[in-house]
Amino acid sequence: MRTTIRAVTAVLATGGLLVAGCGRGGPGGGGDEKVSGGKIVLAVLNDQSGVYADLSGRNSVEAVRMAVADFQAKYGDRAVTKNIEVVTADHQNKPDIANSKAQELYDRQQADVILDVPTSSAALAVANVAKAKKKLYFNIGAATTELTGKQCNKYTFHYAYDTYMLANGTGSAVTKEGGKNWYIVYPDYAFGQDMQKSFTAAITAAGGKVLAKDPTPFPNDNFSTFLLKAPAMNPRPDVLGTMQAGGDLVNLVKQYNEFKLRDKGIKLSVGLMFITDIHSLGPDAFAGTTFTDAWYWNFDDRNRQWADRFTAKTRTRPSFAHAANYSAAMQYLEAVQRAGTDAADAVVGRLEGYSYDDVFARNATVRAEDHRVVHDVYLAEVKPKSEVKTDWDYERILRTIPAAEAFRPVGTGGCAL
Amino acid sequence: MIRLFLRHTEPAGRRPLRYLLLAAGLLLALALPWLIYPPVAMDIASWALFAAALDLLLGYTGLLSFGHAAFWGTSAYAAGLIAIHSGLPFPVAVLGGALLAAALAVPIGYLCVRNSGIYFAMVTLAFAQMIYFVANQWRSLTGGENGLQGIPRELLGLDLSDPFVFYYAGLPIVLLGLWGLWRIVHSPFGHVLVAIRDNPARARAIGYPVERYKLLAFVLSAALSGLAGGLFAISHGFASLQEVNWTTSGKAVMMVVLGGIGSLWGSTLGAALVVQLEDYLSTAGFDGIGIVTGTVFVLVVLLFRQGLWGAGRQLGAAAGRARRRRPKPPAATEAAPVPTPTTREEAAWTPSPRG
Repeated sequence: MRTTIRAVTAVLATGGLLVAGCGRGGPGGGGDEKVSGGKIVLAVLNDQSGVYADLSGRNSVEAVRMAVADFQAKYGDRAVTKNIEVVTADHQNKPDIANSKAQELYDRQQADVILDVPTSSAALAVANVAKAKKKLYFNIGAATTELTGKQCNKYTFHYAYDTYMLANGTGSAVTKEGGKNWYIVYPDYAFGQDMQKSFTAAITAAGGKVLAKDPTPFPNDNFSTFLLKAPAMNPRPDVLGTMQAGGDLVNLVKQYNEFKLRDKGIKLSVGLMFITDIHSLGPDAFAGTTFTDAWYWNFDDRNRQWADRFTAKTRTRPSFAHAANYSAAMQYLEAVQRAGTDAADAVVGRLEGYSYDDVFARNATVRAEDHRVVHDVYLAEVKPKSEVKTDWDYERILRTIPAAEAFRPVGTGGCAL
Repeated sequence: MIRLFLRHTEPAGRRPLRYLLLAAGLLLALALPWLIYPPVAMDIASWALFAAALDLLLGYTGLLSFGHAAFWGTSAYAAGLIAIHSGLPFPVAVLGGALLAAALAVPIGYLCVRNSGIYFAMVTLAFAQMIYFVANQWRSLTGGENGLQGIPRELLGLDLSDPFVFYYAGLPIVLLGLWGLWRIVHSPFGHVLVAIRDNPARARAIGYPVERYKLLAFVLSAALSGLAGGLFAISHGFASLQEVNWTTSGKAVMMVVLGGIGSLWGSTLGAALVVQLEDYLSTAGFDGIGIVTGTVFVLVVLLFRQGLWGAGRQLGAAAGRARRRRPKPPAATEAAPVPTPTTREEAAWTPSPRG
């Protein structure tokens, strides 16, 4: 009996060695000198088990795979290499894990580029890794303007959105449309404070007035103090601007509806909202709320076609983060194709100042000065349930905010590249 | 007078096995960055010291602190700030962080040690949450949610950017901390702590100032947690709110329980297991990380009441008994009825269930 087991073990071990040996001598060994290691590796590092798993997570990996397939279909034999891999890791929203994993992805998995990385502390940590390793990094999931501000670096690009763009879009648009008097409620931490400052600046510039701004604890379940204060103010505010996100936003909106502030003439504007937030609470809870969206799947035919392909693979509608991951992966591969190599400095050179237009990024430019990718963004309003025609059809796009106006002007963020 | 670092007179006839184990452990610590990815190895080393420091309280003093992230995190921020603003070598920054953590532990510990059990855990948690909110709010100092980024690693002009090299630069700090802990638990002071854990009323009756002993244990534990936290921040190049979050306290408690409460070395095993598990699961393509770590925790608690270390020790003891039971010339009959001094001494270290 024992000898049999030994024999089996020996056979298995030899087999394993053979397989391993073949793997090493296989495809990659051919020696495609244009790209490092004979292949291009795209890594998606994001939250796949926590609060951001729905709005980006594993489906973003799928979006990046779509980009690879589309790139290969587009260039066929002319592609710089046929050997393109997608790898992924879950940073669990912990900056230390993001930091170790980013190093491992660049070093061990030979990743040429890291994509996504929500949670601002993790995002900034990975930016420092990209800088040290001299490898590319497209941030999509994080909102902090520090990435293109004081902590910018040559290899880091900020792709989809940021706090300035969210606040500026909603703040100035809503003010211009008649919401002159604002009452701002914001969670008292970095994100909320940044949003509040940007909102106030945008509202004032558009001729409006911030009557009051109140920091709230974070996290917080009970917003009644602030919601009771709003209608009692003199003059009464036209708009309640909330910078809450995630679970806090859901609580605030529920209570806003319970206090019937909309009937009292106080509209709701939200700083950051994902379509997954609307989906989880239902459109009626948010109906009439305005916010800035980086992309909406049901905006036009081009978006719908892409969204249909995405839905066929994932059985869910894409958030803007999914589309942005697709777009960033595509633009990275296009830049490699133009450069004819995946050497990081050459690819950065091909990206800086590049203008393009794709399914996510319309009228887009990669700003050379701070690596902010600017593109059209959209002022959206949540439809009431009665107007929702199909699943996930939650938004009405009020207007397009052109790329040139949407993002922080060059030279004001303190980035020295 | 509390005799902290005096050598406790060990009974004669300590088994060489202990030294063998120690040498094996040391060798493993030195070989670790060859076996696993070096930044992960550094994480294991930092967490091992943190868990062992927590075990000084949990296993040897019988106090479950649920707020040790306060000390780990305070030191992480302090070490980072010292390294950024002064450019001093990183061990100095780490030491500075540990001292600040110890200083912070004096008032917190003073107020906490008057409670025990669940109340102690809750009060420590409350203080840790206070520290968390201070770190979150004091944005000019800590960077708030963005974290304190870009902490340099400075040591006599050496290039420590390679995590493999940094591991060997940081390891002596961890080993020093573990040695300190080992000396503490084997000193007369450590024995008094165990006495207090097992029966505080009797310890008080004998004349030991129980609260003062607990406070000193708390401060020492905080200082060594701080040592680990500072090193962690330097190794990652940043300190973030995660470091002062309650989940960090929870993770350390989990490591101690997994490794075996009241066995310093067990905590290091627990740390290695948890860090490796987190690292492995992040690329395993499975989106229920919490489910896996939770299941492991439940299994260990159900099957190995005394943690991995305790289970290993029981296994070793069983093997030893089997060996002794084997018919042997005269010596066997002599040894069988009375346990040897070593075993009895060891038995004293096994935590009693009421811990």
